[in-house]
Amino acid sequence: MTDTIEEMQALAGEYVLGTLSLAQRQDVERRLASEPLLRAEVAAWEQRLLPLTALAAPVEPSPGLWPKITNSLTGKLAVNLTPQAVTAAGGWQRWWDDLRLWRALSGGAVFATLVLAVLLTRQPSPAALQPAYMVVLVAPQERTAGYVVQASMNRQLTLTPLQGTAVPGNKSLQFWTKGTTWKAPVSLGLVQPNQSLKLALDKLPQVESDQLFEITLEPQAGSPTGRPTGPILYIGRAVKVAM
Amino acid sequence: MPPIADGFDYDAALHACALGDQQALQRLYQQDGRHLLGVALRIVRRRDLAEDVLHDAFVSIWHKAASFDAGRGAGRGWIFSVVRHQALNALRSRERDVYTGDNDALDALQEAQDGQGEHSNPVAEQFELQAEMGRLNDCLSHLDSGKRNSIVCAYVDGCSHSEIAARLHAPLGTVKAWLKRGLAALRECMG
Repeated sequence: MTDTIEEMQALAGEYVLGTLSLAQRQDVERRLASEPLLRAEVAAWEQRLLPLTALAAPVEPSPGLWPKITNSLTGKLAVNLTPQAVTAAGGWQRWWDDLRLWRALSGGAVFATLVLAVLLTRQPSPAALQPAYMVVLVAPQERTAGYVVQASMNRQLTLTPLQGTAVPGNKSLQFWTKGTTWKAPVSLGLVQPNQSLKLALDKLPQVESDQLFEITLEPQAGSPTGRPTGPILYIGRAVKVAM
Repeated sequence: MPPIADGFDYDAALHACALGDQQALQRLYQQDGRHLLGVALRIVRRRDLAEDVLHDAFVSIWHKAASFDAGRGAGRGWIFSVVRHQALNALRSRERDVYTGDNDALDALQEAQDGQGEHSNPVAEQFELQAEMGRLNDCLSHLDSGKRNSIVCAYVDGCSHSEIAARLHAPLGTVKAWLKRGLAALRECMG
């Protein structure tokens, strides 16, 4: 991040406006993965300018377009992600091991390689520490995975970074979770950038499927309100992986 | 804003997409497909390309739905953003294929468009038809016409700097300055 704040705001504005060249656009899209401030500026510009989409008159799509879209979904998603299909395909382990799943989820082989690298290099651990739930935290609107969360049945949780995250000096990363029926996210504490973290979830219920995990950019001492206040850097939902 | 059917829950539909529910994606398509195609068509300017953009954008929405944070109620804006950026990337990559990218080619394009000036509708007229854009409308109306038209031309029609210059009959350097100052003023006005 060598730009001044003003330059970054202007770049984000012209990116959303659409006046950048292809090379400049691709450069911004690369930077979005690792620069939360740029991402927040882009998101703010998207919000500001959205009402202008009303100036484009609606155009009815051809009847053949929707079938083409569904074909592309099933073509790329060689694995159907419903639980029934998983069982039919031979259970969670096989589902989990299927590289195509990761390609389908991420849309990118780099992501699949990273996640598999983490899974394959994991040391054998006692049965109690086998992960029961896994969450891949992904940058919103991007395809890049930032962290993997593994939660065991005995409420041990590990957070493993998959890529470097640039954090401004006066900011911190804060880790949150929210069960599907909870009213608000609960803080799991501050996270040191690019370091693994082990936590015991003693005071929280057992992790459940679809439970939300996210990392937000907050003031250095953490959110002053006890709720997320800054932009979301990475987010994902828990998937049960135990046999 | 385009009309929104009462009670359509974009965030819930995206969450269902993330869980593999294709019907949820179809609901989004039925809800906004025609608005999204309209947005894409203005940018890429060819019906077949616009449909390709919509196709690729919906495949992308399907795959990226899990990364969308459904808690903050911005699902509709996110979908429009995915389609717009898909369209802009298609437009800019086509320009790169068609034009050599050097200034001579851009100047030639500019002159060609200058020659058919009557065909390009004045951006201000299209924009003044819309009163319900809320705060953005107020803030845009405070800008002078060069800045306002540059911004609307870029956002709605995918105009590059040189296309804006051609449409508004203004030097390229002036257009770049209009955009820069216009965006800074909008940001100030809207917070």
